This record gives sequence, C-alpha cells and structure tokens, in this order.
Amino acid sequence: MIKLENVSKVYKGDVTALHDASVEVQKGEFVFLVGASGSGKSTFLRLVNKEETPEHGRIYVAGKDINTLSSWKVPYLRRNIGSVFQDFKLLINKTVYENVAFALEVIGRPRHVVRTQVPAILELVGLAKKMDNFPNELSGGEQQRVSIARAFVNRPLILLADEPTGNLDPATSVGIMRLLDRINRTGTTVVMATHDRSIVDTMRRRVIELDRGSIIRDQSRGVYE
Amino acid sequence: MAIKLDYVIRETGTNLFRNVTLTLASVLTVVVSLTLFGSALLLQQGVENANDRFKGGIEFIVYMQPAVSAEQKASIERDLDSNPDVRSKTYVDQDETYEEFKELFRESPQLIDMVSPEILPPSFRVAPRIQDPDVVKALGDQFASKPGVREVVFAFEVVQRIQETFNKIGVRFLAAAVLLLVAALMLILNTIRVAMFARRREIEVMKLVGATNWFIRVPFIVEGIIQTLLGAAVAVGFMTFLIRPFIDELSEDKILPIFQGFTVTDGNLVFTNILVVGVAALIGAIGSAVAVSRFLDV
Repeated sequence: MIKLENVSKVYKGDVTALHDASVEVQKGEFVFLVGASGSGKSTFLRLVNKEETPEHGRIYVAGKDINTLSSWKVPYLRRNIGSVFQDFKLLINKTVYENVAFALEVIGRPRHVVRTQVPAILELVGLAKKMDNFPNELSGGEQQRVSIARAFVNRPLILLADEPTGNLDPATSVGIMRLLDRINRTGTTVVMATHDRSIVDTMRRRVIELDRGSIIRDQSRGVYE
Repeated sequence: MAIKLDYVIRETGTNLFRNVTLTLASVLTVVVSLTLFGSALLLQQGVENANDRFKGGIEFIVYMQPAVSAEQKASIERDLDSNPDVRSKTYVDQDETYEEFKELFRESPQLIDMVSPEILPPSFRVAPRIQDPDVVKALGDQFASKPGVREVVFAFEVVQRIQETFNKIGVRFLAAAVLLLVAALMLILNTIRVAMFARRREIEVMKLVGATNWFIRVPFIVEGIIQTLLGAAVAVGFMTFLIRPFIDELSEDKILPIFQGFTVTDGNLVFTNILVVGVAALIGAIGSAVAVSRFLDV
C-alpha cells in the first residue's frame, strides 16, 4: 500500500529529515512511527500525501509512483488518504456536522451522499448527539473524534495520524486508539506517528523507529523501545 | 470537475462581506478609473461626431484680390465648374462680403467705418464632392496659385484645431484612467490576498481532503471579477446619467460654440459601456488570478 525506496529528504540549511529510508507497508497494516522529535516521523507522513517531495528515492502509494504524479492529480491521491493531526485542524466557525460535511462537499460529493454519510460516520465515532455543537464546545478527545470522522468519512485506503493523542490525557487517548483500531479493522491502512510509549506497548503492532532520519528498527508486534 | 454553483455563490458572498472596507476601496477605485476611462472614450467619439458634422459642410473659400480682373474671375469660375471634384460653388461679391462683415462686427462700428466694400475680397465658397480632408486640401491648393487669388482658407483647419485640443484632453484623461486602473488591479490583488488569508484554515483543510486546485481557486477569482463588475455597473450609471447629459448640455451651449455638433449617440454610449464592462471583467480576472497563483500555494 505504501512503499518507500531509498528515500531522502533534506530541508533548507542541510537539515536531513529522512536519509535513505526504505520500507513497505501492506494493505490493512497498523504501523507506529516512533522516534525523538526531529527524527523524521512527520516528514515520512508528509511525503506519503505529497505535501513534500523527496530529493532522492521513489515513493509508491497504492501501486502508483507519486513522484511522477502531476500536480493536478495530487488532490485525487489525497482523497485516498485521510489525515489526522495533533491540533485537530477543525474549522471553529462550523459545527461538528459541517466540519465533516465540508470534507465531502469540497470534493464534489452529491448532497444526498453527504446527508447519509456524515451522520453515519458521526455515529461511528460516538458523536451523533453533538452534531450541532461547535468545536470549542467539545473536549479535546471529542474534537479529535471529529477530525478522525472528517478524515475517514470518504473511506480512504490509508489513514495518516501525526501524534493524534499528543494533546490528550491517557484515558481519552485510549478511546481514540480504540477508534483508530476499529477503523484499521475495516481494512484501512493506518500509519501513526507517536511519542506515547504506553499506547505502543499496549497495542503491540508493527513499530518503525526513526533516528535522525534513518530507520533503525522495524519490528512486527513491537514495543516503544 | 464539478464545481457547485451554490458553493461558489455562498463562499464568494461571505468573502465580499468579510472584508467590506477593502472591498469598498477596490470597488470605488474601479468606479473612478472606469468613469474616467469611459468619459475619455465618449469625449473622443463626441469630437469625431462633431468632425463628421463639419465634414458634411466642409468647404474651402477661394478669396480673390479686391482688384481681381473680370477675366481672372471668369477663369477661376471656369476651372471650378469643370473640376469633377467640385460639387457646387457660390460666388460672394464685395457688397455681400461687406454685409457679412457688418453682421460679424456689428459690435465694433469703428471697424466697420474703416472698411468699405472696395477693399474686401470677393470669394467663391466651394463644396467639394469628396469630403476627405486630404482631397479637399489638394483641391483647394490648386487654386491658391492662380492669378487673382489672394488665399484659400479651409474650414477643416478649424475642425482640426478642435480635434487636437480635445485629443490632448482625452489623452490626459486616459493616462489618469490607466494609472487608476493599475491601482485598482493592485487593490483587487490585495483584497483577494486578504480574503485568502482570512480563509487559510479552510484552504488548508480543503487541500488536505483533496479538493482540486480549481475548486479552491474559483471562488476567489469570482470574487475579484464581481468586485470589478460592481464598479463597472456604477461607472456605467455615471456615464449614462451624468457624463452623457453633460456633453449634450455643452453642445447646446450658445456661449461656447466650439462644442456645437458635439454629440454622443446611443450607439457610442452602448459601445463605451460594453468596453468598460469588458475592461472591468479583465482587471478583476487578472488581479485575482495573479493573487491566486502567487499566494495560494496549491
């Protein structure tokens, strides 16, 4: 589903974010990316949905070489990839329903699809009763559920999560992880960058550890360190 | 690529009201610049129309020496009659000229006292068949060197003077209009830039979930075009209900006879208004397209 071949990414000022990284993630896998801040976890995720382009190497997503993808096709790549962030990136002037509906509207989905899909996904994430609330009326955990609903409402093949529990307390984080696990069980490939040791150790999924841009460990059913 | 109309309308409407002061600044600049631009065009067409009216009666006057001999006069008359380019001619003798002179200078009796019919030149007033100024000039010049002729005076020289004067005014109007249009363009560009900044979080999310580039761009470009079209609508109103009546008023002014024949036809007005709307749409499209391509990193 995701394949990196000898990928290097260097930012301005010779900051090496990723160095000669090669890795393959199969369809339906759940992968943790771990490593210190600045080890290249976020760059890894940004390369997969082509927010960044690598200096060297090739990246395949769903069998396609995305380096050669013309820029007008990038939006169609991203429709297959859901993204979740530490800071949720919700629109504060839109309700929960509108935030999720927005993701379908802007890719031109017909209104009847929006009307059926949005309540269904909000039911799935457990926010059916808060549809008409605004993000600032929700707890952090609830906001992250909205953002996951938005990422998943279009049923993408891949879900990328960049420290989704980074702003949440441990109990709330467990709830979010259950949700991500449930999404993974529908066949969606999940790649999650995290610093959360207890989550990684509890879930026992594949762990890829990065250190200063290099992959130093790739372990199935791994632990944080 | 299906871009829903109601989405574009909703987004554009919200944007226009979000930056109401900046929007107003751009719209007003567009109004002023386009009104100037359109007025310059109307003025120019007015002058052309005035020229056309003069053209209908374009004629030159062959003034003869007061002491012209009968043979010389007969020779000139023969030449005029046999010339295929001359449509008609009228002979004005010294007495008639004196009457004209008295009429023209009735406010200055001492001047009339100094003049008698004998010293005034008799003349042929000539209406040529072809009214092209160059042809008329060539025709008139043929008579300038004939014996007994004092000088040949062309009516269109006067017309040319008027036209040159108004062209100078028009050029200055146009220069000011162009400067203001450039200002309008930059204001539109900045208005759109601010609108994009205000919506940067939406844009970020749109990119993230895979909205196409044009889906993100179109509402901003539409916004720019709507702003300039609003300005154009006001400018068209100004030209139709203020500038044109003003020009008509000038042409009826008896004190300033220079403006006589100065008319703007309905056709002129429609043509100018269409041009103004076209320029407006172009300015809006260019301004917002530049803003979108420079500041919207999609």
